[in-house]
Amino acid sequence: MADTTRSDTPAPPRAAEISNLSFALIISVPVLLFLLVVVAYPLAYAFYLSFHEIRFFGGYSATWNGLANYSKVFSDQSFWSSLGRTLRFTAETVVLTLAVGLGLALILKHLPAKWRWLRALIILPWAVSPYGAGIFFTYLGRGQTGIGTAVAGWFGSDHTLNLISARFVIEYLAVGAAWNMAPLVAFFLLANMLTTPARLYDLAKIDQMSRLETFWHVTLPPLRFTLFVFSCITTVLAMKTFDYIFTATQGGPGGASAVLTYTLYKISFVNLDLGYGAAMSFFLLAVILGATGLLYLLWGRKEERQ
Amino acid sequence: MSSDFTTMNRRAFLRSTALLGATALGSSLIHIPFAQATEFKPASGETVYFRGWQFRTDVVQNNVDTYNKAFEGKVDYATVTGDYPAVMEKALIANEQLDVLYANPSSAVRYNGGGWVLPASELPDGKEIADGMYPNIREAWSVDGKLLGLSYFVTTRGAVHVFTKPFLAAGYTEEQLPTNWDALYDTVYALKEKGVATPFLPHWFGEYFGISWGFVFEVMNRGGQVADPATHKPALTLDGPAGKTLAAWKKLWKSGLVPEEVFSYNEAGYIDAFRSGRYIFSPQQLYDLKTFNDKAQSGDVAGHVSLLPGKEQSWGLIDSALYVMTARKGRSDPLTDDVKKFVSWYGYKDENGKYAVASRWLKENMLFSAYKAVMESEEARTAVSTSLMRPEDYDRVLEVYSKTPYPSGIWNVVWSEEFNFWLREKLFAFLQQDLEAEAVINEANAKITELNERYKI
Repeated sequence: MADTTRSDTPAPPRAAEISNLSFALIISVPVLLFLLVVVAYPLAYAFYLSFHEIRFFGGYSATWNGLANYSKVFSDQSFWSSLGRTLRFTAETVVLTLAVGLGLALILKHLPAKWRWLRALIILPWAVSPYGAGIFFTYLGRGQTGIGTAVAGWFGSDHTLNLISARFVIEYLAVGAAWNMAPLVAFFLLANMLTTPARLYDLAKIDQMSRLETFWHVTLPPLRFTLFVFSCITTVLAMKTFDYIFTATQGGPGGASAVLTYTLYKISFVNLDLGYGAAMSFFLLAVILGATGLLYLLWGRKEERQ
Repeated sequence: MSSDFTTMNRRAFLRSTALLGATALGSSLIHIPFAQATEFKPASGETVYFRGWQFRTDVVQNNVDTYNKAFEGKVDYATVTGDYPAVMEKALIANEQLDVLYANPSSAVRYNGGGWVLPASELPDGKEIADGMYPNIREAWSVDGKLLGLSYFVTTRGAVHVFTKPFLAAGYTEEQLPTNWDALYDTVYALKEKGVATPFLPHWFGEYFGISWGFVFEVMNRGGQVADPATHKPALTLDGPAGKTLAAWKKLWKSGLVPEEVFSYNEAGYIDAFRSGRYIFSPQQLYDLKTFNDKAQSGDVAGHVSLLPGKEQSWGLIDSALYVMTARKGRSDPLTDDVKKFVSWYGYKDENGKYAVASRWLKENMLFSAYKAVMESEEARTAVSTSLMRPEDYDRVLEVYSKTPYPSGIWNVVWSEEFNFWLREKLFAFLQQDLEAEAVINEANAKITELNERYKI
């Protein structure tokens, strides 16, 4: 019997499949182009400003002054002190955010079925704007209205306890920033945890692992890359935080919480020294890029290899 | 009817008089309201953007609604949060939709320096408005003879309030109230000796009008100046009022009587602290005397808050604000006319020739006005008297108010805001980092000189 399934005509050529990278690029190009337009102009304009002295009074003028603004940054004491506060605030915020986020995720994962609706509620702090969080933490920390005084009152003391003190205002602000950000971290970590196969936990039981060992060898490894990504995100967000700190303390008490963004605000928008402010903002950009680059070198590359 | 007045008989005279009277009455009933109504009615059909800081926004919105309803206006009112002077400055630089704004005189001077202000002198009745103001206020609000805006409020910031109940309970009499800064500090330490934990709440809070203004008014109350009113050259000296002020501050800070949290108070926190009843003395806004004596708002101190007498020296400084018109680029002429109409109505007289908005502020919040006609009315006396601990305090209020100085040396100059911000930080550092008074004074003088050079003053 003749083979009716075969044909002598050649099969049409298959369309060449595009690689994953090409596909990713194609779908990203519109967004990248949009970002280029939105970011490039202000960035280029800030770069232009940083080489000029800008004046608004007595008629607008922009006078070329070369690298003077950049060299001035190095001798500006307020830059170095603000940078120190920024690094302190950032380190504390990142550690607290990741720790609280991880803790919350563990709690949410083990919630009994009837309490799982709490998972939806826990996201609420993240929904609060930085402005709102600033006002909230001002009232919470102030001696006359705050939680410190309330706690002291529970123990029978009539003293006010102020948490917005020059000595530990940065730590207090870091707690507020972590309160704001940690729920998002918790949700991502929770999603990660829920994809870990249950049989791994069964095997851990067979191996008679303790709770800590189970956490260390079973729960944590799949979370490490997410933790790395969020450490980068939180680092960037903490370094560029302005509205929350401005609302909560206005850089005070005194100048105790005047981080780099606050100093930049003062130079650029109070003194209207836009050229110098632009130059200093590029140092902030360098610090952000440096910090995230360092995180990648020390941690990200290792996670990628695994 | 004879045209010759000297030969006019009585009948003709009465008839003429009646006719004239009827004409005058008719004019007053028909013609003037019609003329004034059309004067305020906007013609462009475009929106007038009016922005201000957050104070009694309910009252402002109601006033704006009244105008919009009466004249089919399109005034859009909104408040601005954050660092008000800086936010508004950015809006002016960016030529945003902004036609009328609140401004303190120092800000108005700076905005004028940037060419962003349409002076109130350019209003059709600009001269009449200026003539109706107290000369010292008019001078404070003018640059090169141009009046920068219309009166929002005038008050004394730094009038020292006293919560009389604990003061009297500590064994003092009203006659022993301090009459100058040195006596005040002496009383504060004496009260501490008597066991009062927090006798004084200084003007050291974190707003742009906080600690720096506190320094400026204490220097002026002690008879000094921060900068020369005419030349704007620095005028601080270690052995003068500035040195005495800083010495008193350092001693107070080191005594531990002032909690550090005061540094991070905003204005609401500062007012709340005093009305909590924990403090006996505090430099506050004069108009808050009404707030502190209002049981609904200040239950812990109401009925017991008075002022230190102003017989011997002044207290505080003139704190005021104006309604400023912007010189927004690209705005049509008809819209500019509408802006002028609205500002005239809002910041001066309404269609009935009354200072409606100014009078309302006086009645509701004891905000004084720059207009003599408002302040010298019987209505003003009644409004102020009913806001006080007792009616007799009215004279004390006027005594303090009439002596209050205005720091034109540092406020009627384009660098005012910059210096204010610098001073604020330096004074915080002076206390927190224990800087030397001499160094602070030298640096302040150097800063003023630097700013004068930079702005070619």
